[in-house]
Amino acid sequence: MLIAAAARGLYFAATMLLFGDLAFSLLIHAKLPVILPPRDIKLRWSALGVAAVAGLAWFLMAVAGMAGMLDVQAIIQTLTATLFGQLFILRIVAMTALALVLKRHAKLAVLLALIVLTLPAGTSHAAAASPAGFTAIGAILDATHLGTAGFWIGGLAVLLQLHRRGEPNILLALSLFSEWAMIAVLLLVMTGLINAASILLGDAGTPSRVYLIVLGTKLVLVAAMLGLAAMNRFRLMPQGNDKVIARNAARELSAGVIAVLLAGVLGQLQPTL
Amino acid sequence: MKTILIAMLLTTIAVPAWAHAKLQSSDPPANSSVKSPSLIRLVFSEKLEPAFSGATLSDAAGKKIPVSASVGGATITLMPLSLKPGAYNVTWHSVGHDTHRITGNFSFKVVP
Repeated sequence: MLIAAAARGLYFAATMLLFGDLAFSLLIHAKLPVILPPRDIKLRWSALGVAAVAGLAWFLMAVAGMAGMLDVQAIIQTLTATLFGQLFILRIVAMTALALVLKRHAKLAVLLALIVLTLPAGTSHAAAASPAGFTAIGAILDATHLGTAGFWIGGLAVLLQLHRRGEPNILLALSLFSEWAMIAVLLLVMTGLINAASILLGDAGTPSRVYLIVLGTKLVLVAAMLGLAAMNRFRLMPQGNDKVIARNAARELSAGVIAVLLAGVLGQLQPTL
Repeated sequence: MKTILIAMLLTTIAVPAWAHAKLQSSDPPANSSVKSPSLIRLVFSEKLEPAFSGATLSDAAGKKIPVSASVGGATITLMPLSLKPGAYNVTWHSVGHDTHRITGNFSFKVVP
């Protein structure tokens, strides 16, 4: 279970970083011509590599869990006869396409990274817990949750890259990030609450204690991230204190990655008993 | 925007839903006494992955009874030939789209 949870968490952390990095870099390119967006190709390739390896490990663990064994027959059955397997094939196709366009086509790369990040929403707990069997509602909410979290986390990574290279207009980038991140965080929190409510409250069973502890820890981390973001936006930004802002952003990013890894654990736990 | 918000809020209304494919009901029900059933139906809380879901029927001695089984939507159906009076046990395993496997069993009695 722990390996599957770690693989799932790493997959989401890597794809969020990749999507957010590409999306916010594109936004800077479009809105702030005075800033050259960071293009850390090594970081992007590393994130894609981690996503590929973690995604494969997650797939193999899921096959073993479903079939009770891991052999070629079970792998073929999963790929051809389950929704998870079919979405996995789509993810591989999207990842391959992303690898091909990563250096050249920024807009297409953002779209493909979003697809790679959000496709697993189709087999999420939120999708399964959709009311009256409308899987699409839960899947769309979960995809929104993943996409907005990705923008937040990857955007922070871009800000840190700008700080590291001593970008003189970093406060402009921070201001742009704040505008978009506020909308993203609002959607993130809203979809997170709806997902948690439909998974836990829609069930006649008792919520699992372990699930609640992990979920509670994740919420504490997200609250801490919100606190740091608010401090950056409303206190430090008007003072132009970019050193402390960067330190807070690094802390925010660390908390975000841990929260995503915990989300990987939540995906493997049984929410109710 | 208002429509989207209303749609989102509607999703939180408590319609029974589970994140794993749990057994919701069965016919015959667990621990019931019935006349020889022509089929045994297990209804789960969400759609199943037919490739990895199924059920078997065994008698009181644990001997497996040959049955024709089918999995469709959220239901597993077993069609046994006529069952003699006695105790029977249904052992099931379910996998939902979330890939998590759940197992369980229940018993019922066939009376003359």
